[in-house]
Amino acid sequence: MKPLRASVIPNRWLPYVLLAPLFAFLAVFFLVPLAEVVWLSISDPALGLGHYVKVLADPYYRRVTIDTMGTALFVTTLCVLLAYPLAYVIAEIGGAVGAVLLMLVAMSFWTSFLVRTYAWMIILGNRGPVSTALHALGWDPPPLLLFTRFSAVVALVHILLPIMVMAIYAVMRKIDLNTMKAAASLGATPFAAFRQVYLPLTAAGIVSGSTIVFVLCIGFYVTPVLIGSPREQMISGVIGQQIEEFLAFGEASTMAIVLLAVTVVILSVYHRYFGLDRLWG
Amino acid sequence: MRTTFLIVGVLVAIFVALPIFIVLPMSFSTSLSLEFPPPGYGIRHYVQFFHDPTWVGPLVNSFVIAAGTTVLTMLLVTPAAFAMVRHDFRGRGFINLLLLTPLIVPHIVMAVGYFTYFARLHLLQTYVGVMLAHACLTSPVAFLTIAAGLKGFDRNYERAAQSLGAPPLVAFFVVTFPILRIAFLVSGLLAFVHSFDETTVALFISGRDVATLPKRMFDAIRLQADPVISVASSLLFGVVLIVFAAAMLRQYLGQRGAR
Repeated sequence: MKPLRASVIPNRWLPYVLLAPLFAFLAVFFLVPLAEVVWLSISDPALGLGHYVKVLADPYYRRVTIDTMGTALFVTTLCVLLAYPLAYVIAEIGGAVGAVLLMLVAMSFWTSFLVRTYAWMIILGNRGPVSTALHALGWDPPPLLLFTRFSAVVALVHILLPIMVMAIYAVMRKIDLNTMKAAASLGATPFAAFRQVYLPLTAAGIVSGSTIVFVLCIGFYVTPVLIGSPREQMISGVIGQQIEEFLAFGEASTMAIVLLAVTVVILSVYHRYFGLDRLWG
Repeated sequence: MRTTFLIVGVLVAIFVALPIFIVLPMSFSTSLSLEFPPPGYGIRHYVQFFHDPTWVGPLVNSFVIAAGTTVLTMLLVTPAAFAMVRHDFRGRGFINLLLLTPLIVPHIVMAVGYFTYFARLHLLQTYVGVMLAHACLTSPVAFLTIAAGLKGFDRNYERAAQSLGAPPLVAFFVVTFPILRIAFLVSGLLAFVHSFDETTVALFISGRDVATLPKRMFDAIRLQADPVISVASSLLFGVVLIVFAAAMLRQYLGQRGAR
């Protein structure tokens, strides 16, 4: 049976008419400001590619870029190592423990970045529990933990961890544990069965999770700015600083475009091999 | 192997849950510093928060902006979701990609763009400006949620209504919308919370006049260690509980759609 519909709008135009409001809206309020960033990067204050030469060649900018990538890589690796056992417990051991852990992860995921950053400022602050404990253990005066790369990494790992857990868990829950039994019956030790059967089956989750976490990490603004070292800023922090303190829109835009380019390249590689639609589940 | 995973997994979960159990007690602390554990408990910081217009103002602003963003997002996204789920047309793949780009572009990049673009349009430090920006950023999630609900919808209900003489719009409001109300509710809640929580773009474009709660918190954290921030955090966290219910509903919806 053919669907009945109003005859005012010809059928083949209908999807375009339905899409027009959102399309026009995104064009005017998303694509134009984005294009503005590109334009600023080559035109402020004078037309040319000077900012790109500077951002790519200047030792300061190069260090910021390398620092950002290095931090993001480190954070991503830590996230994989921490998320894997947690996802395993939720997916394979399950029961009441699994349900509670899943709930904690979800709750953390839905808590604002800002709130979680602030919590780490309390925990790692000089009157917080960690300093008190180190002091009690005889470390006097206790080390400064806040506003260092260490505190930035801890907070970033904490904030991005739930995403990694979700990505790995989504793959783990679909694995048939009989494959492990089959491996065992063929003489594999539990570790060999895990390494040769289970781990490869979860690789897709690790790749998806790492892609999202890495991309989010290099673009993260709030947390590194608040809790990280002011002397070792990440790209996004430098962008913000260029605008707020120096009103240097050209340089800020150039950094922003470099950041966007890196993001797009990583996601394109992912898309080529896995398909972006899988990233959003 | 299993035991190792269990122990490590539980330890990691404690790390994950830790901050929630820090911020809530902190907001009831009697201390003026960020001392933890607090020396005593009381509600003085809450009293202070709600008597301070520089905190209550942003709280109200956040609600206004999130509500406006939600309405705008839903109006834009709903017809688009219908088009994408129910129709096959030229350029569908391209448009699908375009609709999801706000998920890809880092917020700091958009913050730079909005800062200069909205300055020219005189939209900086206005409710409308922040709502427009937030509607762009929230649209992909709202769109995906409605599209997911729509995929599981049995069109025969609509056809029945239309064969009984209901025009498409009437069929939508009388049949489709009530059946899919959970998808719409979840989508709306996600848009609301996304806007309520959004920090980076709001930092650059909300300014002093329409500062949102996250913007006010960010500035306060940068300035000094004020325990009143814990109250703001707890309020922001309270919003999480609402989303949480929404997320549960979404999962429930997904399972129903799969059947």
